[in-house]
Amino acid sequence: MNEWDDMELATLQDLLMTGFLRGGLYASMAVGLALVFGVMNICHFAHGEYYVLGAYGAFFAFVTAGFNPILSLLVASALSFLAGAVTEKLLFYPLRQRSKGEWIMNAFLLTAGLSVVLQSSYRVFFGMKYRGITQYWNTSFQIFGMRVPADRVIAFLIALVAIAGLWFFLKKTRSGRAIRAVSQDENGARLVGINLDRIQTLTFALGSMLAGLGGASMLSLSPAYPFAGNKPLIASWFVVTIAGLGNVGGAIVGGFIVGIFESVSYFFLGSGWQEVASLLLLILLLLFKPTGLFGTQIKSVWE
Amino acid sequence: MLEVENLQAGYNRLQVLWDVSLEIRQGEFVALIGANGAGKSTTLRAIAGMLPPQGGKVRFMGEEITGQPAHRICQAGISFITEELNLFQAMSVEENLLLGAYLCRDRKLIKTNLENVFGFFPVLAERKKQLAGTLSGGERRMLALGRGLMSNPRLLLIDEPSLGLAPIVVLTVFRALQALHQQGATLLLVEQNVTNTLQITNRAYLLEQGKITLAAPSSDLLENQYLKETYLGRR
Repeated sequence: MNEWDDMELATLQDLLMTGFLRGGLYASMAVGLALVFGVMNICHFAHGEYYVLGAYGAFFAFVTAGFNPILSLLVASALSFLAGAVTEKLLFYPLRQRSKGEWIMNAFLLTAGLSVVLQSSYRVFFGMKYRGITQYWNTSFQIFGMRVPADRVIAFLIALVAIAGLWFFLKKTRSGRAIRAVSQDENGARLVGINLDRIQTLTFALGSMLAGLGGASMLSLSPAYPFAGNKPLIASWFVVTIAGLGNVGGAIVGGFIVGIFESVSYFFLGSGWQEVASLLLLILLLLFKPTGLFGTQIKSVWE
Repeated sequence: MLEVENLQAGYNRLQVLWDVSLEIRQGEFVALIGANGAGKSTTLRAIAGMLPPQGGKVRFMGEEITGQPAHRICQAGISFITEELNLFQAMSVEENLLLGAYLCRDRKLIKTNLENVFGFFPVLAERKKQLAGTLSGGERRMLALGRGLMSNPRLLLIDEPSLGLAPIVVLTVFRALQALHQQGATLLLVEQNVTNTLQITNRAYLLEQGKITLAAPSSDLLENQYLKETYLGRR
């Protein structure tokens, strides 16, 4: 093998690695989005704001309060979980009582408005200032002969653990089973004694927590600032659209596909073009398979 | 056990039920019969809390449950098996049944109930791991009934269990209901299959255009001239 081949191989490895690590974040964000859509029928366009909230939470816990990284991440998760629960009780619950057939549109408009309100609030409270850290963990790992900062690897592992934890919760616990029941048949769920209001609040809180944890674990790579949620929001919407709305399992695979696709197209087409490539892929997919790659007829979040 | 007094219900401005009153005593098997669109399903929905009543009272075990949310009414001990069954299609038969016992936290009791349901409908035991969405029509009815039984209900409300089933399967379902009654269950059955229904029930109410027009023991109704002419197609 000559020198040139070696370099190409290294580049390819680098691309796949970057894409894979990025895919972990996309997957965990998209899973939250899929859950909220699958259970509550909300097209959630303020998901990125909970990502930002998690990032702020982790920043203040880690830098201002001086907590250790793990505790900071836990604080960020708890904060975004709570924020999600409060949002649901304060906004979506009353809206649900008042809407009938027009719920999907109403809920979507509410999230769009909420996104603007939250972004402006962050701006008022925290200012247009980047709040980032250089790293949580001052070390790096050797993977396939490449040095990768520990933060990237750990952020990826956190995403995997969060997804696995969600899987366990949905499949093995009573409340998790209730969440899946609501996603498959709301009336059936009511008939077996499931309190819909409680499940909706829990679902929204869990979705927000996944976003917040994402924002917190990526803090050293993308600092917290009021509009930091836009990019991850678009990316995770891209993921759920190609995977099939409301399908949690599909969102995981979709997250990795998009992560790798983005890093590969970034390399070959240059900065600024990777979004064009992504959108082109999305348009083609919607033209030829409008239900998404893993879309099915039967409605369910994760089976 | 269940007392319904002057129940009014409907959909938005369309009122369907007008002063429906009925009563079910412990251990009885009561039928609610009538033509399509008479308001039979609406009556059950209003009792079970799936549709908030617009007026009247529903009392169960001496307590007023009018307008309570469905999960509360389920908790009080009423199991409603709907016409559309509302099964969890992408879950296994077993998981559907376990969800039927959602409100029960006693693992031992859940296990006993599961075994009882499997004893009652052996086909469900055979198809334990199969997804509910892949069952045949008759099996789905049995699964819905089984799921309704998993919560140890005091009263079962059953909406049109014969709908869309082959005559032989209808017979199986009716036999199952009869057996349940013989084991001491209290049931309110809504049916359009009038002859079969009157043969297995104790008493029946006839619902016409949202009003109760007849109430009598089922055996008397089988001989009722009006019913014979309008619903049984005999003279």
